[in-house]
Amino acid sequence: MNPRHHPTEDILVEHALGRLQPGRDLVVAAHVAACSSCRIKMRETEIVGGALIETLAPETMAADALQRALAAIDRPEPPSPSSPAPPTGWIGFSSPAVERAWRRRRWAAPGVWVAPVVRGPGAMRTYLLSVGAGMSVPRHSHRGAEMITVMTGAYDDRGAVHGPGDFACNDEVVDHKPTVTAERACVCLICADARLIPLDWVGRLFQPIVRI
Amino acid sequence: MYALAMEPLRLSGGAQMRFGGAPVSSPSSMSDHIAAIARSGDRAAFEALFLHFAPRVKAYLMRMGTSPEAAEELAQETLLALWRRAASFDPAKAQASTWIFAIARNLRIDLARRERRALPGEDPTDAPLAPVEPEAELAASEKARRIGQALTDLPTAQAEVVRLAFFSDMPHSEIAGELALPLGTVKSRLRLALGRLRIALEEGR
Repeated sequence: MNPRHHPTEDILVEHALGRLQPGRDLVVAAHVAACSSCRIKMRETEIVGGALIETLAPETMAADALQRALAAIDRPEPPSPSSPAPPTGWIGFSSPAVERAWRRRRWAAPGVWVAPVVRGPGAMRTYLLSVGAGMSVPRHSHRGAEMITVMTGAYDDRGAVHGPGDFACNDEVVDHKPTVTAERACVCLICADARLIPLDWVGRLFQPIVRI
Repeated sequence: MYALAMEPLRLSGGAQMRFGGAPVSSPSSMSDHIAAIARSGDRAAFEALFLHFAPRVKAYLMRMGTSPEAAEELAQETLLALWRRAASFDPAKAQASTWIFAIARNLRIDLARRERRALPGEDPTDAPLAPVEPEAELAASEKARRIGQALTDLPTAQAEVVRLAFFSDMPHSEIAGELALPLGTVKSRLRLALGRLRIALEEGR
């Protein structure tokens, strides 16, 4: 089923142009892998990008550039490393970094595991967060923005259910307490500009343990 | 036969965008070259593609902040990837330039990632890159012509924003500073411009 919550057009265009920060590009790529309509929108931007490349004044290549290229195509292609399959039940998004993180996941609290994926740039952090069926993430807000794609399971945020492949971008004005739906644990890929701001005592207890 | 691709390469100097200029290549001939590589490993077709695209890919990458040496190298890699994956390209359904753009973009992100990995405190991401297979729903040479025309027809204010958004590594906030415009205006002009370009695409469908 195609996801129902999508990145804004601004975000998709920046992604198609390869201009999103590391980590954010991963979260958007996960959504796009699950979403055919966003793939088509990205392709529209790529067509414009290709047409624009045709309008650029060419740069001079090295004198032996063509000879090097012709020599390169004669060499046998090195075998490409096979992409890891995503864990069973996850959206069809294959990423060595996410796969590595998943293998290194650590239980942080009963029903909760986290796995750092990318650190930086700056205070940005990207991680997988799994929260057990029916559990709530403690009430919190954000410094800067946070991008999320659901890898498996679903959560309810202020009445909107986000299922596999759904994307959300939460900013500092959001004050929420997402709750995982009853069926199964929910794993999300998250890229946050900075640490969460816990808004109640549960969160203040929770944050040092989970370190997000 | 490859007259279009053999035009003398010009030094770019200030490298102005030529929104008004006619497309330098006939898009269908470039796509035909890729098909010829897929069919029979046609080296003359590869040469034509290389001579046309490698200097433009280098120009694109340099605008995105890549050093001239690295841009030269990535232009080589882009064309090599095109040779190796030619069989998965369908000239009836996609533009050569779209494919080249996506491959070059992905290689640039890869390079940035490798460079970051060398820095202490930053982890590698290895994000899988957006697929570069041609999308059946879009493209063909008629559409490229329409986009070229639509670009030419953009009001100068929108064309300026498109140029900076597509061909610089400046965030929108810096583009706003550069053009002395509010951030919201930059974003809305970009949306307007992309909307027009998209309409040009729809009309070609």
